[in-house]
Amino acid sequence: MSNRATSLPLQTKASLTLAVLICMFIVASWLILRQVIMPAFDDLEMTAAKSDLKRAEMALRTDLDNLEAVTADWAPWDDIHDYVRGENPGFKRSNLVRPTLDNLGLDFMAVYALDDRPVWAQLLVDGEQQPITALGIFSPGDAAAPLLTSQDRADVHTAGYVATRLGPVLVSSRPILRSDDAGPVAGVLVMGQFLDDARLGRLRDRTEVDMYWDLDDEAAGLAAPLGSPTFEVQADGISGRKVLADIHGNALLTLHSQTPRSISGLGGQTVSLALLFLTVAGLLVTVFVWVMLRVTILKPIERLAGHMTEIRQSGNLLHRMPVQSNDEIGALAHQFDDLTGEVHNARQALLDQSFKAGKADTAAEVLHNIRNAMTPMINGLERLGRSFKVADNLRIEEATAQIADPECTHERREKFLQYIDASFRHVAGVGEAATEDLAVATSQARQIEGILADQEKFANVAPIAETLGVDEVVDEAVHVIPRGARPGVDLEILDGLDTFAVTAHRIGLLQVLGNLILNAYESIQRSKAPEGRIHIEAATETLDDQEMVRLTIRDNGGGFNENTSERIFQRGFTSKTEAETNGLGLHWCANAVASMGGRIRAESRGLGQGAEFHVLLPAAQGG
Amino acid sequence: MYTVENQEFIRVLVADDDEHVLECYRDAFGEQETTNHMKALNELAAELFDPVEDIVDQPKFDIVACNQGEDAVRQAAAAAEKGTPFDVIILDVRMPPGIDGVAAGSAIRALDPDVEIVFVTGYSDVPLEELQRRVPPPMRLHYFNKPLSFTQLADDVVTMMREH
Repeated sequence: MSNRATSLPLQTKASLTLAVLICMFIVASWLILRQVIMPAFDDLEMTAAKSDLKRAEMALRTDLDNLEAVTADWAPWDDIHDYVRGENPGFKRSNLVRPTLDNLGLDFMAVYALDDRPVWAQLLVDGEQQPITALGIFSPGDAAAPLLTSQDRADVHTAGYVATRLGPVLVSSRPILRSDDAGPVAGVLVMGQFLDDARLGRLRDRTEVDMYWDLDDEAAGLAAPLGSPTFEVQADGISGRKVLADIHGNALLTLHSQTPRSISGLGGQTVSLALLFLTVAGLLVTVFVWVMLRVTILKPIERLAGHMTEIRQSGNLLHRMPVQSNDEIGALAHQFDDLTGEVHNARQALLDQSFKAGKADTAAEVLHNIRNAMTPMINGLERLGRSFKVADNLRIEEATAQIADPECTHERREKFLQYIDASFRHVAGVGEAATEDLAVATSQARQIEGILADQEKFANVAPIAETLGVDEVVDEAVHVIPRGARPGVDLEILDGLDTFAVTAHRIGLLQVLGNLILNAYESIQRSKAPEGRIHIEAATETLDDQEMVRLTIRDNGGGFNENTSERIFQRGFTSKTEAETNGLGLHWCANAVASMGGRIRAESRGLGQGAEFHVLLPAAQGG
Repeated sequence: MYTVENQEFIRVLVADDDEHVLECYRDAFGEQETTNHMKALNELAAELFDPVEDIVDQPKFDIVACNQGEDAVRQAAAAAEKGTPFDVIILDVRMPPGIDGVAAGSAIRALDPDVEIVFVTGYSDVPLEELQRRVPPPMRLHYFNKPLSFTQLADDVVTMMREH
């Protein structure tokens, strides 16, 4: 297992990142809504409050203008001009009557002569006539009286708010002129309306502004400069006020407007709803992004990591990644599969090369050592032969015959005896040399035996086992059948071999399977079966509590009888002639399979009945 | 080759890392040891029996043996410097731990383009074509596989020198 320190899993990192992002998004949205959107609503609300106050003031102004218009309609009129001058007494009877005030919407009306003498006046308070003096503004000592009743110039008129004893009023005063606005001024016409609750109600109805005015609101009047509106934002509304001046230009009354905070309330609700919507939308987007990340990236990467771990643990480089998408992750998986495939091929090539190179090196070393060892042995034996050849050339028999010859002189006989003696000593010497040569030959033979014993040690080294796909090995092994012979032999490989994997030495297994397939092919050839058939299949089998994969190679060739089945895996056994013998033999196959922790067995129903060879190998773990 | 008292000598340098093999070379290329009783036997045979056919005089060998490729190159260089180059140099191919016979042969060929070089090996992973390329010319290059009869090799060397 890897000892690399593992940080947070990718999925946790992605989840935390998304959580932080959504929190930042919600906070940012809240800040934007509160700092940008809400002040806009407040500004809008303040604008509405200003508009309300303006509309309230304009409504009062409109009433005053209307009053001025009525006054301007009545004052320049020959009939009233004549009446004030005492020349049209009928005017009073026909025009200066109560219905006139009702029709004109007036609360009071007064006609003054040029000498400030009241000619006619009428005051209605709550529908009842009252003396005009009850107002107090026409009294000689009142500050308003001169402005209202002393209009001796045709181009001067007065209109505005005036405080009376009965409350504030709208008043308009104009000089009485001829109908063509020509003088001389005959007197003054004064008209007025109370700024009472009834008027306030009408103004509220008309303006739809919650408005009122205070006459005695000194604090309000002092607090606000004359003519300048002020606004106070309260919890339930914005209170606006403006101090209005009377006809003298002095502060008279404070006009109030109350604008409910419906806009900011609505804005607050809107902001809250928007925040809620953004939060929900953000959460939904986050969940969607998280799901998409998980489905399209995290899960495939998780599978890729698991796949890599599985490959590392199983060593099966042919195990394919279960990612089907064609996006970058899919391409990555496919590239990883291609890479592992290439690594697998490179590993196989390396193993093959290493195996062959190892074999070649071993063979070269053995050849070199054995031939070197054989050289002195051969030369020793050759020398031995030469020595004996020299012994063969001795003329002992001839010397013996000469000694037996009676004509042979004593001196010559002695010489022959010396020759025979020397010959025997020479033979003895040759024997001693031969013993030495044989010792050398024996020593060299032992050296050769030692070399072979060394090879035996290497032969016992277990080959490298790896995870092998059965389909891949079978596909490679069937190439032992000559291509030209394929049409004559029906090679049937059962589907689904790719679902089996075994742990075995690849080269060894290839050689075993190749040998068995070749045997089957040759058995078919020998039996001259008209339709040769080799069937290869695989299945799982349990052997001594171990899960095995059983590979079966079945042919319809010559088969074998019961006696043969007992000896078929014995050393040296073959059913072929020497010329037919190829490959490594079943004895070798049995040893090779056993060295891989497997078994091999053969079955046949008898001669001419075909044969089955079963190779059992340990199933690969995790393959 | 050189001659002493009408006896021709072939100068042979042998390099092989196996002492037993070197012994075989010495045995096959060296002068046969004649014991006293052999001398007496031969004198008696000459005195008592009719003479057998004379053996044609064969050249003898002046052999120098070493067990490493570097030694062989040094010996060859020294002999060439003295003006008494070897006629035949017999090299094993594999001679660990030093340079192999091919490298030694290549170096010797650079010193002496005329010397006959013979490779004798139990196994060589260098193909003959490669040997011929590295130790030219092919007509001065010979190759034998062990095991072989060194007596026969000695005869072959004599033939080689007669055809040189």
